Amino acid sequence: MDLTFNEQQRAIQQTARDFFTANATAEVIRELEETGPGYSQELWKEMAALDWLGLTYPEQYGGAGAGLLDLYPIYVEMGRSIFPSPHLSTVVLAGETILALGSEEQKQDILPRIVRGDLVLPLAVIEPTGEYGPEGVHTTATPDGGGYRLRGAKSLVPYAEAAEQILIGARTGPGRLDGTLFLVDPQAHGVTVEPMDNIAGYRLYAVTLEDVSVPASAMVGGLNQAYAAAKTVVDRARVLQCAEIVGAGEKMLDFAVGYAKDRVQFGRPIGQYQAVQYLCSDIAIDMHLASLLSRQAAWLIDEGEPHAKEVAMAKAHASKAAQHMAHQAHEVHAGAAFMLEHDLQLYTRRAKHWEFNLGDTAYHEELVAQALEA
Amino acid sequence: MEIRFTAEQEAWRDEVRAFLDKELPPEKEFNHEFEEDPELWDFAREFTRRVGEQGWIGLTWPKEYGGLERTSIEKTIMMEEFTYREAPMINMIGWGLAAGSLLVGGTHEQKLKFLPAIAKMETFWAEGLTEPDAGSDLASLQTSAVRDGDYWVVNGQKTYTTWGTHADVLYLAARTNPDVPKHKGISVFCLDLSLPGISFSPLYNLGGGRQNHTYLDNVRIPNDMMVGEEGMGWYYIMNAFYGGGGGYAGHAKYQRMLDDVVAYCKETTRYGKPLIKDPAVRHELANMAITVETLRLLTYEGLSAAKSTEPPAFGGAMGVVITKEAQPLFAQAITRIVGPMSQVKKGKWAPMAGHAEEWYRGSFANHAGGTSQVKRMVLATRGLGLPR
Repeated sequence: MDLTFNEQQRAIQQTARDFFTANATAEVIRELEETGPGYSQELWKEMAALDWLGLTYPEQYGGAGAGLLDLYPIYVEMGRSIFPSPHLSTVVLAGETILALGSEEQKQDILPRIVRGDLVLPLAVIEPTGEYGPEGVHTTATPDGGGYRLRGAKSLVPYAEAAEQILIGARTGPGRLDGTLFLVDPQAHGVTVEPMDNIAGYRLYAVTLEDVSVPASAMVGGLNQAYAAAKTVVDRARVLQCAEIVGAGEKMLDFAVGYAKDRVQFGRPIGQYQAVQYLCSDIAIDMHLASLLSRQAAWLIDEGEPHAKEVAMAKAHASKAAQHMAHQAHEVHAGAAFMLEHDLQLYTRRAKHWEFNLGDTAYHEELVAQALEA
Repeated sequence: MEIRFTAEQEAWRDEVRAFLDKELPPEKEFNHEFEEDPELWDFAREFTRRVGEQGWIGLTWPKEYGGLERTSIEKTIMMEEFTYREAPMINMIGWGLAAGSLLVGGTHEQKLKFLPAIAKMETFWAEGLTEPDAGSDLASLQTSAVRDGDYWVVNGQKTYTTWGTHADVLYLAARTNPDVPKHKGISVFCLDLSLPGISFSPLYNLGGGRQNHTYLDNVRIPNDMMVGEEGMGWYYIMNAFYGGGGGYAGHAKYQRMLDDVVAYCKETTRYGKPLIKDPAVRHELANMAITVETLRLLTYEGLSAAKSTEPPAFGGAMGVVITKEAQPLFAQAITRIVGPMSQVKKGKWAPMAGHAEEWYRGSFANHAGGTSQVKRMVLATRGLGLPR
């Protein structure tokens, strides 16, 4: 029985912490939010050079063949620094889906470019209804000559403006799980990409598809094969989203404890007041439990064990924790963190995105209930 | 990372399960720890004696004191099974607190005198720590022990003494030096309850059992019944848990409650459909399942930390905070799910054999060993470094 990271994983975490501490300062994060494509292309290239983009890919596509638990600490550190990047949307969600489903030609074409940091290719997950899971896909693809015609709309698509292609899931049959994936060029006729100004300050876009024609070669995997493969990939991404929340939680705890020690009111540091100690202990508990649950989920995935329930538990908790930790940290800071000059609000705003990303607490609790019922 | 037990450890679990299958009929699978029913007590004593025959009461202790020198991981596995089956393994003050303290600080003679007897369930122990004015602030206890030749003369009052009238020995903390800081003036004694000067008056609790005020009036305790060294009592009390081999598996009780209520939800129909299809119930159950999982992982994390040299995270207080806070939340959730019939005690009309009602009353005992509020303060100060 051992819940700790091994030496290699600890080394990765240390490297990642050093890298993001040096490069992803609050000034850099604020600047990335205000200007440019929303992420640093230079740092993205440096991450590629560190092998972090292909870490979990097989060596034949330029990857390092590592496990999810090796990638996990990098996400903890990205969360600690709220470092924005296309990693989750391009490398994990789209790249791993293509790895699972794509033709050899598609893999050879796409994966090495992702690994080198040359390609932004997000997976579009959510539609305007905000429904999670297969039921949320209302975009349709209908046969059209030799190819397909896509109609529908995707929401909150990361980095769609910087993307060379977008991986789009579409309904291709009457069954609940009849879905198929297509690579769509955002410049193609009928595609509209509009920014969605959002609380997190991320580059998220509405992608509207009005009779967009794609060739048969744009299909990734066979007809109606999307969900079987996407399920595992999305579970992996959920675990990494939890890891990002854990890292941000560590930082929010640092903010809260630091302020509680320094801030003096009524003649004593406010950290002496039990009401404030409670707020800080809440953050520690939420963060640590999110860490335990998501580490277990990552380990199960790496071991090839059943993991649906454990992933759902992890994200159900982490979504709630993201909110609760931010709220409790603000309670400790009172007015100070309501001011934009304080960095806590940078975390608070991103926590709202993470809460919903890939499914919220209620959605995942229902998945847990399904597992209990089985 | 390796979040599983070894094949050898799982074989040990099978051995424990086989013992429970043999010795614990399903209808006895409920730990009525507070109840005063003589039949339940007889069964619990006999059951615990059989555990002792296996050598499992002192599972982790040295062999010369009646133990088997097994690991704390094996003890955790055993306790997972015992706790899940709600096995009535009584005398936890004996095999937990007293044995742990003796192993930490007792003399060789004391260990020889007390530990084998505890391991065979030959002596039954009660706890004499809490006083009317010393609860969460236990170190402020006022019961005094004054040296008189080969004896200590003890005067004072203890309270909430569970199992006092059943016990042979009282694990007693008393102030032996009033002139030093409060934590440093406390010593621990093994008090033979047949000595003159000891009396009890009953306190009946919400759980359905009896606790006691314990009055100590010029009780003369032989000097060799002081555990270890004078003034070290606080240290012995605080380290008893690890001294006794650890092995707490509280998550298994919550797992049992969850499994029982899930089974109830599957077999119960409300508003024309299975209760488990009710969306509100599903969210309650999912929440409970997540709590169980976190408790289990905290226990396992403790096992993996015990192997390393790193100090336990957050002052070691997180698991106990979650456990204590989960207890009433669980009991409340279960009664919400079961609904109006959860008021009913035992008998044919009682759902879940009355366990929902009993768990609910029992959940108000989550203060034992310190309130969750005190544990939160430990977490905040020792764990996070906030000022006292």
